[in-house]
Amino acid sequence: MTIPLTPTSARQPQQRGRLQSMTGKTIKAAIGPLVLGLPLALWQICFFVLPLGFLGVVTFWQVRNYRLQPAFVLDNWERMLGSNAFQRAFVHTFSVAAIATVLALVLAWPAAQTIALRLSPRARDRWIAFLILPIFSSYILKVYAWQVILSPQGIINSLLTAAGVSSLNLLGGALSLQIGYMTLTLPAVTLILTFALLGLDRDIIDAARNLGCKGPTLITSVLIPAIRPGIIFAGSTAFLLAFGDYGSPVFLTGSNPPTLSILIVDTIKSGSQWPRASVIGVTMLALPAVGFLIVTMVKWLLKRTRA
Amino acid sequence: MPFRPTDLSRRGFLSAGAAASALAATSQWSPAFAQEPEVLNYLSWPGNADPYLVSEFEKENNCKIMIKEYVGGDQMLAVLNQSPPGSFDMVMADAEYMHLLKDADYLEELDPADYPLNDFFPEFQKFPLHWFDDKLYGVMTDFGYLGLSYNTDLYQPEEVASYDVMWSDKAKGKVGFLDWYLPSMGCVSLSAGNTPPFDLSEDGFEAMKDKLFSLRDQASGFYTIADIFSSLRNGQAHMIPGIGEWITLGLRMDGAPVDTVLPEEGGLQWTESLSILKGTKKRDLARKFIQYTTSPRGQVLQATKVDNKKSIPSVAGWKLLNDTMPKEAEILRMQFDQPNVMEEYKKGRIHYRQLPSLQPIEDWNDIWSDFKSA
Repeated sequence: MTIPLTPTSARQPQQRGRLQSMTGKTIKAAIGPLVLGLPLALWQICFFVLPLGFLGVVTFWQVRNYRLQPAFVLDNWERMLGSNAFQRAFVHTFSVAAIATVLALVLAWPAAQTIALRLSPRARDRWIAFLILPIFSSYILKVYAWQVILSPQGIINSLLTAAGVSSLNLLGGALSLQIGYMTLTLPAVTLILTFALLGLDRDIIDAARNLGCKGPTLITSVLIPAIRPGIIFAGSTAFLLAFGDYGSPVFLTGSNPPTLSILIVDTIKSGSQWPRASVIGVTMLALPAVGFLIVTMVKWLLKRTRA
Repeated sequence: MPFRPTDLSRRGFLSAGAAASALAATSQWSPAFAQEPEVLNYLSWPGNADPYLVSEFEKENNCKIMIKEYVGGDQMLAVLNQSPPGSFDMVMADAEYMHLLKDADYLEELDPADYPLNDFFPEFQKFPLHWFDDKLYGVMTDFGYLGLSYNTDLYQPEEVASYDVMWSDKAKGKVGFLDWYLPSMGCVSLSAGNTPPFDLSEDGFEAMKDKLFSLRDQASGFYTIADIFSSLRNGQAHMIPGIGEWITLGLRMDGAPVDTVLPEEGGLQWTESLSILKGTKKRDLARKFIQYTTSPRGQVLQATKVDNKKSIPSVAGWKLLNDTMPKEAEILRMQFDQPNVMEEYKKGRIHYRQLPSLQPIEDWNDIWSDFKSA
């Protein structure tokens, strides 16, 4: 509903008329979004809510003779959550995904700021197109390409050897893993930050500059606070992509050590343990929800103490 | 937070995918043509219905071989358990899974007189893992050895004469592993002096576990079969225990500096066999297929298959190979008058790859997962 800009006194007769037809209009106003939102809601129910529920139910089932059987046992939860392999994989996956998130944000920020605030509209569109392009090529293919580039007898090491430098152990390890994660996350994170900065009111920046704010201070005191939701979205996208990724840990570190998604595959490979794999899956899905809950609670507490 | 919904829908896709696969796992697999008379349904490792292997048989018998591929015995058992009886007419299985198939009553008893077992090397005529209560349930089709594969540019044969080399400083961070507990832990068990390697007392099991974990810092990675090839080729792994010539021979023919040795502590043998499954209506056709595969001609085809070179148990097969493809016989080390693949067997250093007999498989699997994440 738009806010009438006319003075209150002039609006009054009109308002009374409006009140009379309010109910009819509200229903009409509500039907539009309902119809438009229905396909998405149905889709989400069919392909998110129901499968998620099923995934949760399966965690209580058991496997007998390689066959999944409905049951209600807590054994899968006890075994998985209590196993060293799961705990270590969880800590490892969480920390590498967190590092990837910070790396992606730090690496993407200068590019996003340049594209959004420095370039001419034409150049900006071109660079945004460049960022969208990688999304159209296969991620697994890119990971394999990195394997070829980084391997002991790969492109980089061949060049180093030719230059008389001893070869480096690039493949298999934190560096190669983060290279893979950046391949996966950087384009998306840069795009999100770019669009967030583009949506910023330029007057704010000009005003800040007029008041003598520049350089790093401009970033920390003006830009970051102004696009905080965008940063949180970019960060959570990077985190979730890295947290659930299978390609980079398998092909760039040789599962050394395994991440949670690798553990899911292992669990199914050894004895068709779908219920235990589901425990890992549900835990991975629950993590963002728990994180979201904590953030909301902290915010609420902060607001209360301030009040 | 305005962006959350989009964010959640991505997770939605992931979880939907996972649940859909779970659902697929519970539903029963049914082959499209299971009941057609001219179709032979074959549950097997990948590549075993390659036209190179089966087209002659298909032409002769006017039939079609429909393969359902599996990777690893666990998956084979899962497929069988989830399919109605009669879905498959025959199965190619690794020897260590035969007793599980037998215990679950999947296998038809075979008449030894139907098959050219007398053509086989004496060692394989009554291969213990294929016979139960003196009755035959599977006919051996091929075998191979698993030992220590290594980079020949970096190591001399005498350096890799013992599995101990895996613990050397030179090999630090360069020992690759096939991501399957059975052959990997089998070789570690051999290196700890356990023969046979899979029948371990509780103490022996603990000792093997300690020995395995002491290898953790030496590991370069845990590879799938596809990645085993690339890690050996690109130098990421300098040695890999528990694999064999079925991987290194192909690589070597492509020019990669790799070879496999059977260290002094011994090696493992994998063995594949064909069995007829209960509930089949095409018993005769299945029997003919086994006869074809174990005939000299069928054996030569098995040995020279492009993607996966195998050793064959049939002496008649060896003869035909030497007569018609002498070059291959030399490469495959299946010449009678030269050091050949039967020699290691005769030296008594070969142990069957078997499932752990005194601990649940799950315990071995758990230790393997633990080792990888340690």
